[in-house]
Amino acid sequence: MTKLTAAVLCAAVFLSAPLSARPLVLAVGGEPDGGFDPLTGWGRYGNPLFQSTLLKRDADLTLEGDLATDWGLSEDGLIWSVTLREDARFSDGAPVTAEDVAFTFNTARDAGGLVDLQDFVAARATGPFTVDLELSAPRISFASRLATLGIVPAKSYGPGYAREPIGSGPFRMVEWQEGAQLVVEPNPYWHGGEVPFERVSFVFGSEDAGLALARTGVADVVAVPASQADAPPEGMRALHIETVDNRGLMFPMRPDTGERSAGGAPIGNDVTADRAIRVAVNQALDRDALVALALGGHGRPATGPADGLPWDNPDAGLAGNDPDAARATLEAAGWVDADGDGTREKDGLPARFAIVYPSSDSTRQALALGAAQQLRGIGITAEPAGRSWDEIGAMMHSNVVVFGWGAHDPSEVYNLYHGRFAAIDDFNPGYYDNPAVNAHLEAAESANDFAASLPHWRAAAWDGETGFGPRGDAAWAWMVNLEHSYWVSECLDMGPMQIHPHGHGFPITHDLPGWRWTCAE
Amino acid sequence: MNWLRPLLLGRLLRLAWLLPLATIGLFTLVSLAPIDPVQAYIGDLSALVGPEQRAAIAATWGLDQPAPERFLSWLGGAMTGDLGRSLTYGVPVAEVIERRLPASLALIGIAFVLSFVLGTALGIAAAASRGGRVDRLIRFVAVTLSVSPGFWIALLLIAVFAVGLGWLPACCAAPPGLTAAETGMGDRLRHLVLPVATLSLVGTAPLVLHTRQRLLGFLESPAALHLRAHGLSWRRVAFGAGLRHALGPALALHLAGAGELFGGSVLAETIFAWPGLGQATVRAATGADAPLLMGIGLATLLFVFCGNLLADVAAQLVDPRLRRTTA
Repeated sequence: MTKLTAAVLCAAVFLSAPLSARPLVLAVGGEPDGGFDPLTGWGRYGNPLFQSTLLKRDADLTLEGDLATDWGLSEDGLIWSVTLREDARFSDGAPVTAEDVAFTFNTARDAGGLVDLQDFVAARATGPFTVDLELSAPRISFASRLATLGIVPAKSYGPGYAREPIGSGPFRMVEWQEGAQLVVEPNPYWHGGEVPFERVSFVFGSEDAGLALARTGVADVVAVPASQADAPPEGMRALHIETVDNRGLMFPMRPDTGERSAGGAPIGNDVTADRAIRVAVNQALDRDALVALALGGHGRPATGPADGLPWDNPDAGLAGNDPDAARATLEAAGWVDADGDGTREKDGLPARFAIVYPSSDSTRQALALGAAQQLRGIGITAEPAGRSWDEIGAMMHSNVVVFGWGAHDPSEVYNLYHGRFAAIDDFNPGYYDNPAVNAHLEAAESANDFAASLPHWRAAAWDGETGFGPRGDAAWAWMVNLEHSYWVSECLDMGPMQIHPHGHGFPITHDLPGWRWTCAE
Repeated sequence: MNWLRPLLLGRLLRLAWLLPLATIGLFTLVSLAPIDPVQAYIGDLSALVGPEQRAAIAATWGLDQPAPERFLSWLGGAMTGDLGRSLTYGVPVAEVIERRLPASLALIGIAFVLSFVLGTALGIAAAASRGGRVDRLIRFVAVTLSVSPGFWIALLLIAVFAVGLGWLPACCAAPPGLTAAETGMGDRLRHLVLPVATLSLVGTAPLVLHTRQRLLGFLESPAALHLRAHGLSWRRVAFGAGLRHALGPALALHLAGAGELFGGSVLAETIFAWPGLGQATVRAATGADAPLLMGIGLATLLFVFCGNLLADVAAQLVDPRLRRTTA
């Protein structure tokens, strides 16, 4: 035992002479098990650390150039022409050329990984620093791929790349101890300027391990559960970041005609097929109360799938917490409580449905219970029911389900509301299909530039006559947007923050190269 | 040593039918698990990965083949030593195991020795002062430990020694910010302390109670009474002849329980962010990574099998009576 003590003492002495500059330590999860290969999905939040992307999103989520200095679409919307900056270099010193970009896109297309390059045909280098990306159908949300797919070097890309990545991003790898931590240092060839940290470490492991690291003063940025966020340890502050990590009630849109999906699941629900019910739910929900109840106050009311993002349409929403308006809506549609049992009926059909939530998720459970309680006040009986995801898969075409989405990519809106995606995977399980909305979504994808697509995305939610939003078809009743909570060292200035997507943790590193220490050493 | 050969042969025979049975069982279980590996892989990206891409991922992994065919092709590979590719980690299964086994073995090995020494010593000490204050204290601790869930012990240790007193690191195998080359031996040892403590505490309790019971039996036997009548103190009897008497069964029990230690390491590695096989097991299970689960399952099977074999050999070495009956 004495030997061990001696060893421990030696180590303590040895450790007390640390590296010169203060290293930054983050415990925000996000370890990619498969390694750091953008072609199979690394960097989905648009900050691949080691690689850089053609475009990037600034704090307002506006697209700006990173490797690209100029980009544009052909008249038919099928060819993206991108001009590259000429001073970008990979961390081994080799220049980033059009060949590398073409290689990256063409290889990712065939990689069978998490990069979904739908409608992408091929990329061709048209000069040393110009490249054409060809699509088979106009698709403006392809811009999101330009902002997330990290460019890899054509020459040195190979089977071992994921574990020894070389890219033109702000950092290069020092060491990756799988399952434990990733240590990176600034890439001296980066075109984006100086990174003020000699070294950055990402500690992986459980949430509890992260909390313990924060409490022992080792970590500088830690992802924490909202329930614990307000008691940061000494030297740290709590940071709550707005997100579009949303939760809402998905309504089955079709009446129940006994029809079944390809997988044999029943389709349709006679109660929620009535627009008045869906609108009334939207009017009745007190979303502020739900935020307080289910999120402990760490969130904001949600009215759409992309609240606050550039393609969001705030006009599509209805004022909530208005039970009188909800009652009026129901009565006008013929839903009245004739037998006085507290539940309205219409033609003998009681206004009754289940709200299904995954039983493993306590937040969604609280939302389901809270919503059911609030709906009782307007004469709708909603019965919360916890099920496994497996069971939900068979119930989601005929029951109201608490789902969560939220991405920095408008194609998510397309997937959720376009009739073409009815019952495809988890997209549009309610069989929502409105030709006018479909047309707006298609017009958005066919737009000739990203800014020009925004009015079409908004029109899909509400164009003055119809839309998927509560004022139109009310296909969903969105409830809340979560806040993602972190503990951050009081000495760290993180600059302006984006609204974060679904996924608590790694997205916070989006602007990591711009962070600064504010305390003197 | 003429008893050793039949024992080994018998065990090898058992392994010969156990292995195929276990692989079939494992594969069936993994295939029946209600987790879609493609969905688990996509996770948060659900909204951004369309049906065509999902099909492409499944095809890359060979999941578009029916289950029996997947099993046969896996079996064919396994026969030639190729355990397939892990879906989660994107590298050969053998590489994942090879890379992560040392960290787990260090944890399990030290905990194994430590809990054996500690458990036996405490058990004997308790028996030696049976009914006394020491006995009651040791029994109280052992019973408390045996009903305490491992994760609770781990959190308690972290709260006291890492957060409260600040003596030991709360997680990980090395200090954050240092590469493996920069991490000193002392640092590695410091990071080992809490995970090893958790793991050995969990393994100690049954050993204490078992050794104590076993020794009490001996101390009431005519042989012990005889020694006692010759003037030896209870303590001398317990730690002398009694030790030898209790050691064999204790070692057998401990070795046979090696599988539980393996299970405990899954938990300890998760809580302490220890980059070993236990952590990989959790990932493989939640991601329905069939090849990796099969690989780890087989490795665990061999591990437990060896533990049991060693337990039998140890028991026969310590107790001559067993040798006579087998031969």
